[in-house]
Amino acid sequence: MKTAVYFCNCGTNISEKINPEKVEDAVKKSNGGIIFKSCGFLCSEEGKEFLRKDIMDNGIEAVVIPACSPRDHEKTFINVLSAAGVNPYMMQMINIREQVAWVTEDKEKAAEKAVHYINAAISRVNLQEPLEKKEIDVSPDAIVVGAGPAGLKAALSLAEAGRKVTVVEKSPTIGGLPVRYEEIFPNMECGPCMLEPIMGDALHGNASGNIEFLTLSEIEDVVGSYGNFTVKIKRSPRYVDAEKCIGCAECIAPCPASFKNPFNCDMNERKAIDFSFAGALPNVPYVNAGVCLRFNDNDGADGGSCRLCIDACPVGEEVFKFDEKEEIIERNAGSIILATGSALYDCGKISSLGYGKIPAVYNSIEFERILASNGPTEGKIKTPDGKEPQSFAIVHCVGSLDKNHKDYCSGICCEYAFKFNHIIRNKIPSAKIYHLYKEIVIPGKESGSLYRHAAEDKNTVFIRVSDINGMTVAEESGKKVFSISGACGSGGGAGGGEIEKRGGEVSEKISVDAVILCPAVVPGGDMDGLAGILEVVRDKNGFFEELHGRTDVGKSTIKGVYLAGSCHSPMDIKEAMSEGMAAAGYVLSGLVAGKKLSIDPISAVVNQERCSGCKVCIGVCPYKAISFDEKEEASLVNELLCQGCGTCAAACPSSAIKANGFTNEEIFAEIGIMLA
Amino acid sequence: MQNSTAIKENMLDNTVNIEKAKKMEVFEPRIIGFLCNWCSYAGADKAGAAQKPYSPNVSVIKVMCSGRIDPQFILEAFKKGADGVMILACHPGDCHYKEGNYRAVQRHRLLLRLLKQFGIEEERCRFDYVSAGEGDRFVSVINETVEAVKKLGPLKI
Ligand code: FES
Repeated sequence: MKTAVYFCNCGTNISEKINPEKVEDAVKKSNGGIIFKSCGFLCSEEGKEFLRKDIMDNGIEAVVIPACSPRDHEKTFINVLSAAGVNPYMMQMINIREQVAWVTEDKEKAAEKAVHYINAAISRVNLQEPLEKKEIDVSPDAIVVGAGPAGLKAALSLAEAGRKVTVVEKSPTIGGLPVRYEEIFPNMECGPCMLEPIMGDALHGNASGNIEFLTLSEIEDVVGSYGNFTVKIKRSPRYVDAEKCIGCAECIAPCPASFKNPFNCDMNERKAIDFSFAGALPNVPYVNAGVCLRFNDNDGADGGSCRLCIDACPVGEEVFKFDEKEEIIERNAGSIILATGSALYDCGKISSLGYGKIPAVYNSIEFERILASNGPTEGKIKTPDGKEPQSFAIVHCVGSLDKNHKDYCSGICCEYAFKFNHIIRNKIPSAKIYHLYKEIVIPGKESGSLYRHAAEDKNTVFIRVSDINGMTVAEESGKKVFSISGACGSGGGAGGGEIEKRGGEVSEKISVDAVILCPAVVPGGDMDGLAGILEVVRDKNGFFEELHGRTDVGKSTIKGVYLAGSCHSPMDIKEAMSEGMAAAGYVLSGLVAGKKLSIDPISAVVNQERCSGCKVCIGVCPYKAISFDEKEEASLVNELLCQGCGTCAAACPSSAIKANGFTNEEIFAEIGIMLA
Repeated sequence: MQNSTAIKENMLDNTVNIEKAKKMEVFEPRIIGFLCNWCSYAGADKAGAAQKPYSPNVSVIKVMCSGRIDPQFILEAFKKGADGVMILACHPGDCHYKEGNYRAVQRHRLLLRLLKQFGIEEERCRFDYVSAGEGDRFVSVINETVEAVKKLGPLKI
């Protein structure tokens, strides 16, 4: 094999420490006068041109490049080799800049080390094989899990670009959390109204033909990998035909069965057949089989005989599908976007705050529903005893910035806390409002005004508390009484008895009619199940982990599975929308219809003749890329799933697995020559 | 005459001893370092970018993951004259391929038992973790290993 060494001086970065002539002499001596050339900057335009031409002119078949780190320029030289018509896997780049020249004090020793490296590389490159990239067909379509702001935005963007999207949503409605909010920060827009155009476009717009919504659905299983996922989706029955129902709601009033409505945090009741809330999309009610009399009575031929909803329906009996069964739907897609959203930290874990025990101690979503005109109190602020509270404590940082609970700041709670302040003030002008907080965090160019309204309001008091858990809430004749230890001035240290005051009140005990807790944002939904099915990694707080926390926040640890919205980090609606768009961008740029995906040939290959069938490799593969070929009684690697780590090759007791690019022969040659 | 021969011989003996002593002093161990591509190799690059000098005695062989390191490679290195071998991997939980480093550490533990039977000291076969950001740590791990192997002297098997 005709091999050549192209030594890069890297200006003087390398040649200053490692004398190219000396190295040339030594390398030529031990490699029978091999072609050895040096160049000022091999990565420069001239350098690349020189390399390309020299390879072609001399009919070079294998190349050794002593230069900088392959992290810098391996790709550059791979392209040059390809341009020169040489297989790019017939190259060995040696890092004599970062790992020799820059770190070796003695010039003699540096040169000696470089010679060893070059000699080892020559022996290795001569054993290398011209590997070929394989190309596979891919699906440009996508699955989006979650129909909140991030998922909707991603789905709509993809659909508008002509991609087919299946949106898998576990609840009966789309829109995610913001449809629960009457008004959202920073400018008091109505949540459902803000989402309405996006949901409308996704359901009925020009691109809606490209979007399939599967509500009451969850991911059951995923096989395959980037470019070709096969996704099994479990859809629970709605018992109402979404195609035929006209959404008139006539069936609801006659329904005799009801249960606590989870959409309103169980604060009121809904019928067995009902909408989650007025204005829910898709505009089709659903039946809770757990309470519907047809499923729970035995007075009919097969189960219950109640047909009050059916009789009330102006369309007719065909709308109802009481025999509908759970269904498994299979879809193929090249990419998966996870947009499963978040939830609130369980305030009950900080028992001193009385959540779940004392009435009128709410978490923030419950309070959002109380404020909502389609909520349990139709937007009137009322405690369970039906009274309008005259004083409120809004507790920030519940379970946040606390190493015993969640050590991060969710970054959205202060903003909605000041939104609450604004809404309460409008509805109950004389109300007294206390903000109990550890830190105030209001990032963003629009967030100042709600904060200022609260700060400048005469009947609003800010109390900084060093330890939220250190407060206790007790009920005393209908009032919620806070005992605060460790209150401090906003500029002062913890533990002092001094309370920062606004509005002229100082107290270490405050008593209020209602308490609103603003807890840390935590991962929502069935993270365990999804993470298990997709094998995506979760971070220490349980959120899906990003491939890189800054440069690739939209990618999960699994190729082709993207992250959008608060499933990977707490965030507001604005950020979630941008992330949905970003995830769509990854899909659009990664997989293009009609374009094939090339597979890196640095993968493992089983020599089935040699394989003893012990299956050790199957157990060690982190990607489930190896299966057992029953016919051949030998293991078989799926090169699409194989990531080329080589763990199986090291584990194989029969040396039947070849790790392309890092074969035993190549590494043995390297060891031998390195030590020669 | 006799005396002078004796003196000469004595002198010769002395020089030999001095040479020997010198040789011991300048014993430069040869160590093979297997580095995974994603963390430890990048850590070595980081040390390089910071231009932190370290002992040149370790020759690096790159593999994609520490999980690729077949115990045979290590035995081969000792057979071919290495005085020491290092395996550097991503920190637990950080392996680019999820769990290759766990396999590597298990294999290393088993191998140490075998090496002991061959009379190869534990210190000659070091397993450690270096992340892509830990240039300083890379330097100290290298220097420590070289020092440890220097203390043991050349490997005789
Ligand atoms: S990639 Fe570094 S140990 Fe696996």
